[in-house]
Amino acid sequence: MDKIINDFTINVATANGTGSQSANLIILHSLFEMGVPVSGKNLFPSNISGLPTWFIIRASDRGYQAPGDETNIQIMMNKDTWEKDLASLDSGTIIIYNEDAKLPVDRDDCTCLGMPMTSMARGISPKMARLMANMYYVGGIAHLLGIEEDAISSAVEQQFRGKENAISMNLQAISEARSYASENWGDVCKFAAVSRDKSSDTFLIEGNEAVALGCIYGGINMLSWYPITPSSSVAESIINWIPKLREDGDGGSTCAVVQAEDELAAAGMVLGAGWAGGRGMTCTSGPGISLMSEFIGLFYFAEVPGVIWDINRTGPSTGLPTRTQQGDLSMCYEASHGDTQHIVLIPGTVDECFEFGWRAFDYAERFQTLVFGFGDLDLGMNRWSTSGFEYPSQDMDRGKVIRTQEEMDSIPNFGRYRDVDGDGIAHRTLPGSGLAPILYRGTGHDEDGIYSEDPQVYYEAMQRLKRKIDGSRDILPAPVIREEDEGEVGIIFYGSMENSIVEIDDLLEERGMSVSTCRVRALPYHSEVEQFIERHDRVVVMEINRDGQLYGILRKELPTHLIPKLFSVAYSDGLPPKAREYANRVIEVLEG
Amino acid sequence: MVKLNVLNLEKSEYKGGKSSLCPGCGHDQISNIIIQAAWENGIKPEGIAKMSGIGCSSKTPAYFLAKSHGFNTVHGRMPSVTTGANMVNKDLSFIAVSGDGDTASIGIGQFIHAIRRNLDMVYIIENNGVYGLTKGQYSATVEKGSKKKKGTANEQAPIDLCAMAVNLGCTFVARSFSGSKKQLTALLRAAMSHRGMAIIDVISPCVTFANNDESYRSYNYVKTNDEVLHIVDYIPHFSPLSEVEVPEGEFSDISLFDGSTLRLETVSDDHDPRDAVAALRAIHEATQEGRHVTGLLYYNPDQPTATDTLGLSDTPLMGLSEAELRPSAESLKEVNAGFRAR
Repeated sequence: MDKIINDFTINVATANGTGSQSANLIILHSLFEMGVPVSGKNLFPSNISGLPTWFIIRASDRGYQAPGDETNIQIMMNKDTWEKDLASLDSGTIIIYNEDAKLPVDRDDCTCLGMPMTSMARGISPKMARLMANMYYVGGIAHLLGIEEDAISSAVEQQFRGKENAISMNLQAISEARSYASENWGDVCKFAAVSRDKSSDTFLIEGNEAVALGCIYGGINMLSWYPITPSSSVAESIINWIPKLREDGDGGSTCAVVQAEDELAAAGMVLGAGWAGGRGMTCTSGPGISLMSEFIGLFYFAEVPGVIWDINRTGPSTGLPTRTQQGDLSMCYEASHGDTQHIVLIPGTVDECFEFGWRAFDYAERFQTLVFGFGDLDLGMNRWSTSGFEYPSQDMDRGKVIRTQEEMDSIPNFGRYRDVDGDGIAHRTLPGSGLAPILYRGTGHDEDGIYSEDPQVYYEAMQRLKRKIDGSRDILPAPVIREEDEGEVGIIFYGSMENSIVEIDDLLEERGMSVSTCRVRALPYHSEVEQFIERHDRVVVMEINRDGQLYGILRKELPTHLIPKLFSVAYSDGLPPKAREYANRVIEVLEG
Repeated sequence: MVKLNVLNLEKSEYKGGKSSLCPGCGHDQISNIIIQAAWENGIKPEGIAKMSGIGCSSKTPAYFLAKSHGFNTVHGRMPSVTTGANMVNKDLSFIAVSGDGDTASIGIGQFIHAIRRNLDMVYIIENNGVYGLTKGQYSATVEKGSKKKKGTANEQAPIDLCAMAVNLGCTFVARSFSGSKKQLTALLRAAMSHRGMAIIDVISPCVTFANNDESYRSYNYVKTNDEVLHIVDYIPHFSPLSEVEVPEGEFSDISLFDGSTLRLETVSDDHDPRDAVAALRAIHEATQEGRHVTGLLYYNPDQPTATDTLGLSDTPLMGLSEAELRPSAESLKEVNAGFRAR
């Protein structure tokens, strides 16, 4: 049989809390070990045990990382979703199912491959049979795709590091399953996994851990946090790395960690830390930003540095807590009452999660303002490939902080909020220094920080703030542009959509469209974004939300003559973006 | 001759701007006592951080200690801002002013959690039972049956912040009255010498909206219903005990963190401030009789503070250099290698 090499999507339907995550990661990592370009997505419920979970593994020599548009191999372990899972499959799908579920598999148009997984697992360990049963589908998949034994062993060892008993039991289960499949199923699979040269440098990591390491290398002094999915692993990862990377010679920690009573308090602590001259950060998700909004305005108006990482989940309200979205962009950009505008950094890869992790503190201190890191569940909690993080290329930027009397004397006409340099950024002094003390406040204040309700003073203060943040545009990360000469269609996108863009681009090129892409990496947007729009006839702004939030921001801020060029493709169902879904919508909006 | 404190500073070095509160406001008396206490204790003004929330009371940090940095934050959220500042600079002396609206309503959660962490700060509640800045609505601390100048009497049960603090294990809990200059000065000086959360709930009459005799928080009412637990004298660590006059009656001494002493002279019943149950009994009995119990209610020294439990670097974190904050390039190579080996 001619095989389709390294181009398939596996969907595993299980219930959470049954140990299936280990089995899924073993499949993912064994393919990765073989050098097969692979990505994994965990679609999990907001629940600890018993609700349906799907894990999608996509292998693609072309490097496509979006979940595949169709499932090629379906693994059926969950009785609760059995019927629906079965009904959703296209003709020709390979179905691996647990015979012990004793449920019908009446799809004559598919290749149905059963195995008594739970009974077989009972042979190894009656107690662990429910957990071990998952390893049998690993063995079944390994047989069908031809996953190498070495790769499986290495993935199992990685998964159960140091637990020799678990390693041998699981390897035995996989091996039994492989033999069973070989004897009972035969060579029925048209897909195969074939080894590729794997760079020895690459590894898989979750975006949230990359953010955490970025913060560690950014010199974070204080982490305050309130647990919320999907951001908690940022905090937990920082806590995990502090003893290894952030202790002084005497074993003292150089980063304080406070689990706050709520998100309001977490934001207040970041504000206090920034005011006192430290690098404070909190991580949260949309509901947390809603609560923090009061403080966010104070950061902006009192001009205090701080960092908040928003790992987006599906809103509004409690929404779909374990699903992904880019639904918080406009909120982050303009959070809090009155006129505000905040710097938002938007990583699209795990490398950028690390880089923006440390850069966020530099921007916050440089511009004396709040900086958002904008991630999402897809990038944050799924594993992505990197060839290793790069050490910060620049020294820390601590901003305009006056630390000595000599420095103070060198500034003519000092005032905490007086723009003596013409860049909108004034100089500040720190509590404890005794230098030019003022009472910071969220009320109106003049250039010396004194309470004022004077109309002209208020007007000028707000104009300066606008100028200050506007001045960050071309200092913040520039967009990543992949440009075709034709200048026909441009696509503007951001964040985790990076993982689907190559495939979307290919699908559109297949339709004869010449497509350039521009990935926005920060707000306020860089001047190159505007130039990109200038150079293209029609520009689609593509994003994972309902209302087209970046589209709205662009329409508000772009010169009027560019606005007719803009089209919005905004779609969100809680799941990571499938390429065809978006490609079709782009075609529809441009041709429709 | 101008009087100087142990730092050779005049009292004027501790003063602030002109108050914009109503003439006769209890809060202004408290501001003066803060100036007096900080000066007498010889605290460096630049080492103090003045913290507040929102409300009449929270405006007052503008009226004292002009040489200290401060932050007039948002309503009810002063404790969290103080926590963050404390985490990165544990050497600052935090003196915070809040009100009954700020602490007992919108900010009660942060108040509770700051106590739970034993945040190292002085937390003064200027407690008048009304929202002054919004023109006289009742707050959550006002007594049942108390009546402000306009409107009907309050029908809801009050929140007693001292009782709550005692229950939460707050390490220093006192109540006083803005009109009791000697008592409040001694208690405030002791609070400044304490390490950990020191709460002083100060009854501070609102002269504009609730200084009528039917108000349980008017000058007249408090003066005639003040149940003083003990007479308090503060003896600073830089003034040897032998030079202090020994009172004639019974007394007990409390040793404070910085080596200073608070002397409690027995009035009628002996109150042991180490006894949380006794503190609660004193509060509840006074409340039942429509009286305000004042003095040092509860004291529980030597408890770890919010920063003690974190094993932080000795240097305040905001003072660390880039070399101390950013791990080496070599370490990142090891981190990457570790992931590759997984």
